[in-house]
Amino acid sequence: MDDTGRLTRRQFAKAAVAIGGASALSACLDRSGGPDLPQGSDDLAALPDRQHAWNEFLATDDHGNDVAPRHHVLLFLDYASEGSPTDDDRETAESAFESLERAYPRSHDSDGETRVGLVFTVGYSPAYFERFDADLPGSVDLPEPKALASFENPDLDAQDAVVHLASDYPEVVLAAEEALLGDQSELNGVEMAADLSGIFERAERRTGFVGDGLPAENQDVRGVPDSEPISEDAPLYMGFKSGFRKSQATEERVTIQGGPFAGGTTLHASRIRLQLRQWYEQDSRSQRVGKMFCPVHADENLVEGAGDNLGDTALMDEKGCPAHASDDARTKGMVGHSQKSARAREDGSPIILRRDFDSTDDGEAGLHFVALQREISDFVATREAMNGEDLAEESAALGQKNNNGILQYMDVLRRGNFLVPPRDLRTLPEPNPE
Amino acid sequence: MERRNFLRAGATLGVAGLAGCTGLFETTSANSPPPVVEDRPDAAYYPTHIEGHAKPSMAEDGRLRVALMYSYPHRFWTITGADTNKVSIQSEDDAHLMATIWDSETMTVLPTANVSAEISKDGETVDTRDFWPMLSQNMGYHFGDNVGLDGDGTYTASLDVGSMQARGLGDLAGAFEDGTTIEIEFEYSEADKNEIMYEELSDQQGQEGAVEPMEMEMMPVSSVPAASDLPGTVIGEGTSGDARFVVATANESPEFVGDDETYLVVSPRTPHNSYPLPFMSVSATLSRDGEAVFDDSLDAGISPEFGYHYGAAVDGVESGDELAITPGSPPQVSRHEGYETAFLSFEEMTLTA
Repeated sequence: MDDTGRLTRRQFAKAAVAIGGASALSACLDRSGGPDLPQGSDDLAALPDRQHAWNEFLATDDHGNDVAPRHHVLLFLDYASEGSPTDDDRETAESAFESLERAYPRSHDSDGETRVGLVFTVGYSPAYFERFDADLPGSVDLPEPKALASFENPDLDAQDAVVHLASDYPEVVLAAEEALLGDQSELNGVEMAADLSGIFERAERRTGFVGDGLPAENQDVRGVPDSEPISEDAPLYMGFKSGFRKSQATEERVTIQGGPFAGGTTLHASRIRLQLRQWYEQDSRSQRVGKMFCPVHADENLVEGAGDNLGDTALMDEKGCPAHASDDARTKGMVGHSQKSARAREDGSPIILRRDFDSTDDGEAGLHFVALQREISDFVATREAMNGEDLAEESAALGQKNNNGILQYMDVLRRGNFLVPPRDLRTLPEPNPE
Repeated sequence: MERRNFLRAGATLGVAGLAGCTGLFETTSANSPPPVVEDRPDAAYYPTHIEGHAKPSMAEDGRLRVALMYSYPHRFWTITGADTNKVSIQSEDDAHLMATIWDSETMTVLPTANVSAEISKDGETVDTRDFWPMLSQNMGYHFGDNVGLDGDGTYTASLDVGSMQARGLGDLAGAFEDGTTIEIEFEYSEADKNEIMYEELSDQQGQEGAVEPMEMEMMPVSSVPAASDLPGTVIGEGTSGDARFVVATANESPEFVGDDETYLVVSPRTPHNSYPLPFMSVSATLSRDGEAVFDDSLDAGISPEFGYHYGAAVDGVESGDELAITPGSPPQVSRHEGYETAFLSFEEMTLTA
């Protein structure tokens, strides 16, 4: 806030994404006048086949890590009609998505910096594909969502579709959402050729942010202590950087290779409540570093601040962390989160691509863990590695949650699985397209 | 001025100066207890003060019993590996909430893996967190944390109680293998809280020892039997890190122990109060004529007769065998005051059968 107690423009803009709707958007635009963005693409055929091909449009930091777009909306949609979708609905909805692409560039150059205009994916749930008589082909691994640990009890998402909208500009994700839902007919000077109203109904919206400074600005929520412990350089609530280049799967690794949905991917979205009073008030810095990364990171003081000094790697293999997980569980009674997760790698490379972001939804600190992977089973394997139940069984000292990475600070409230088809099948796909 | 500074200033004033200002010394209270003792032994020691707790609220699910009670916010120490961190009382903290979990059939306190709590009032969530596994001198093993509440009133704590993270033996075999969710209502009032017993131990604080376990109606304490009461043959006893390690073989072998094998039990416990030390790792090497016949880490186990212990099936223990007990990780339980300097580093102990 400024010294008169009013929200600053920047604070207002990011709060607006969480609030949502036409009034939040108009208030946001009144204040900021809207970002000065060029329009999007005239040549839609030149856009990548993969909906999830975002990386080429993202800025990279000094170490070559991709920098995630700062503002996000997950728009969960239900198909408004009974049964399987009609061709008319398919054409109309596709036209709406194309209008978004004409309105905003994926990225643009702003004073020499790459900034994301609008990137989005559209995905469909197992519940959606139940609308058809035919089954998905064997080349797609899309089971119903389920609880992935003995200590979690999430509600399972059964909405038909999810649209993940992301931008470096809060106004853009808000306006794109409004326009898709038919509440705004023009977007960045481009007339919406169609919208989703009448075809889809909004079931739920989840919002958030990721990037340096944003968690610090948004720390006045339940789950974060009043002492405002989150530093300005932290891109996420827990205070550490993630998304190191070497901790992320490549887009190629998460892309479905064969069958009608080749070029697509799967998306897992979980909604996680963060409980950070203990993290910040009761754990020391060295305990936090050990629990987030690996005990050796705490012992050797490897992490400065949010971890920017680590460059493009969390130093997992370099420090032998995954290989030592069992030993650490026995001799120290603790294991690190990254240390456990790194056990799920394939030939040394991760198999999921994180596109997660923090949230203030429902007034509490949260994490929307969006992950892309070729098969949902890749996510399940990574999560099982992160659960460390095998380590807790081997070692009497390691708790199922206690000192077992960061499990204690997270409560998984919802899980959902979605297929993100290639771009030419992104709109109301059939399970067995030609 | 902090109390310590004032004491120093007072000393220069002499006795007459002190006599006139005793009222000023009464600045310590349950919410701002005296400073932690400066020269603490590396052992269990008397804390600066003791506190009682409000009447427990109880709930049950099958054989599982939960008692939830509150006291003044406490300072305590979290532990990760051997790295302890002092948790000070924060301005947001209203109470220390504690849960004890036990089996109604055998009255055994259970080494549940985790307890997470969602605390609400009038349907609004007030706090969510995972309680720490904790060890205190007057309560033994329990779960708890300091929490911020929303004034006087009726609260509901929804507790997710995890499965038991120790092998159940005897009447506990196969029990509590799944977690459950239990709701407990409790009344909180600041006035009631301020009636809870609070006593400073000015004479004893800092001395080796421990305050007595608190008498609790209707609920068991987590203490383990005296060596002489164990249903087995005691091989010996070692002391390390201020913990006592009682080593025995069971008279009656649990099911998973083969016919020609023996169940080896290592029971580390606190001095004075004989509380078990959960969430630690213990290895044993059994040597006969210079050859190791068993060399492995032990599994956590719980039985009504042995209490919480670490054990393994071994190929019998014969007279003259040498048994080396090697504690690995210290017990990964948060420590209430008086236990934070004990049970942190251990030496190997060797016994001869």
